[in-house]
Amino acid sequence: MKQMILRDIHKIYNASKPNAFHALKAINIEIETGEIVILKGVSGSGKSTLLSLMGGLSKPSSGDMIVEEENIAKLPDILSSRYRHEKIGFIFQSFNLLNGLSVEQNVQAPLMLSHLSHTHIDEKVMRALDIANIAHKKRQRVSDLSGGEKQRCAIARALVMNPPIILADEPTANLDTHNSRLFIEMLDTFKALGKTVVVATHDVLFEEAKAIDRYIHMKDGEIIP
Amino acid sequence: MSIFLSTEIVVFLLIEVILLLLMSIAQGNIILILRRWDFESSTALQYHLEKKNYLVNTILYFTVAVKIILFLFFILSLNSLAGVVPGAMCSAGVVGANVYGNLVLFLKLMLIFGLGLWFLINTLDLTAPNFPHLKPKYWLFSFLFILLCSEFALEIIYFSNIPLKVPVFCCSVVFQSPKLPFGYTQEFLVVVYYLLLVSILVLNTLKQKIATLLCNFLFFFVGYYAITYFFGLYIYEMPNHKCPYCMLQKEYYYIGYFIWGFLFLGIFFGMMPYLIERITGANTNALLKYSSFFLVLSATICTFYFVHYYLLTGVLL
Repeated sequence: MKQMILRDIHKIYNASKPNAFHALKAINIEIETGEIVILKGVSGSGKSTLLSLMGGLSKPSSGDMIVEEENIAKLPDILSSRYRHEKIGFIFQSFNLLNGLSVEQNVQAPLMLSHLSHTHIDEKVMRALDIANIAHKKRQRVSDLSGGEKQRCAIARALVMNPPIILADEPTANLDTHNSRLFIEMLDTFKALGKTVVVATHDVLFEEAKAIDRYIHMKDGEIIP
Repeated sequence: MSIFLSTEIVVFLLIEVILLLLMSIAQGNIILILRRWDFESSTALQYHLEKKNYLVNTILYFTVAVKIILFLFFILSLNSLAGVVPGAMCSAGVVGANVYGNLVLFLKLMLIFGLGLWFLINTLDLTAPNFPHLKPKYWLFSFLFILLCSEFALEIIYFSNIPLKVPVFCCSVVFQSPKLPFGYTQEFLVVVYYLLLVSILVLNTLKQKIATLLCNFLFFFVGYYAITYFFGLYIYEMPNHKCPYCMLQKEYYYIGYFIWGFLFLGIFFGMMPYLIERITGANTNALLKYSSFFLVLSATICTFYFVHYYLLTGVLL
């Protein structure tokens, strides 16, 4: 079953201005449910732009983005927010955690909007912390964690809403080789959980991963066959 | 001295000009959207229009909200102008200073209702997945925009024609014996007021939208006369003080803002479900309970003054 269909996607920044920049050109991608896809390409090739479109963080200049039979490119802002909240787990290069809060509080944050009971929230948080292998640090402040631990906290936060899709933008860029390998091993867990995963990276370590189903190479905003 | 040198009028007109400018920008984009909108299309033009739609919504959300607040400021300004206009003791004198005053006030009130309707339709439109009410809401705003421009022109004419040397009539007129429509008596008026109120409450409970719209329309006028010519006497505690504005003043603890505000809010929410259904097909029956709530609040305050005065003095005015 197709989880995501991107049809003739273009993204132009500053359209109709002298400094217009064509970041994505005629992108056509179909991603199956549970598939793990790596977007590869050098900086500026359009990986992050494509990821932000998939995540409903921005909208294309033209084209269709069908996710679970809904064209997310045409959703009003309020429904885009709901889409991001319910369907997408984001993992960022710079983690984007709330440094003043504990690991547990960071992971709880997305659930604060979901009107669940405290017991239910605690269950979901513990499950996410266990999957990400960071439960032992749950009381610790994020500012006191190492890079690898921060990334695991970010993974737990991405998983806590149990979203069907995980998007990761250069998730290993701020990690050493050991922690990068730990993250790559985590892809097996995502696969076992049935998540659809799209990772934008130019890290060669990902080539070792067995869980990966497909590589999509990008250059100058286009997909290279 | 010109009335345009009054601080309140300068501020009021300046804000009106800014709002009108912003609304003109929005209206320009609305015309483009109305001509080229095709939600099913995924072309660059359609995405461009969808972005413009957000710009227009942001501008209009802000301007409509400010416009509603500005209405209260307008009423406050009229009160403060009473000190400048010779013969005026409250807003009644300022509004009645020329033939345009009541027209401006009535138009403003109608516009507040119209903008409120737009506000509700816009909210429905933005929470649906495919902007289903986009065209009706923009046609409605285009109509309101013409009225808003007329309102501004009328305001300029009104303020320009307020005499500052010739004394105006104020409560000297309203202090005279009541001039109720069709020669109705105060007793009859107050009975109709309570009957209509009860009817609206029942119709709201039964969700009879057309009937409640009509009753609310009637209640707008009946409420005005009942508050001015009956309940007002007990608020002012004077048998001949029949002014709709004095109760907005500090001497009466600004109670008029609550009485009139709740009355208009109640009528507004009572009229909206049918109008919204006609324009968009959406069901907004939930608004009827707000109608009942605000009308009961307004009536409770009015009744309190009447009962309180009667219990204290044993006299009916």
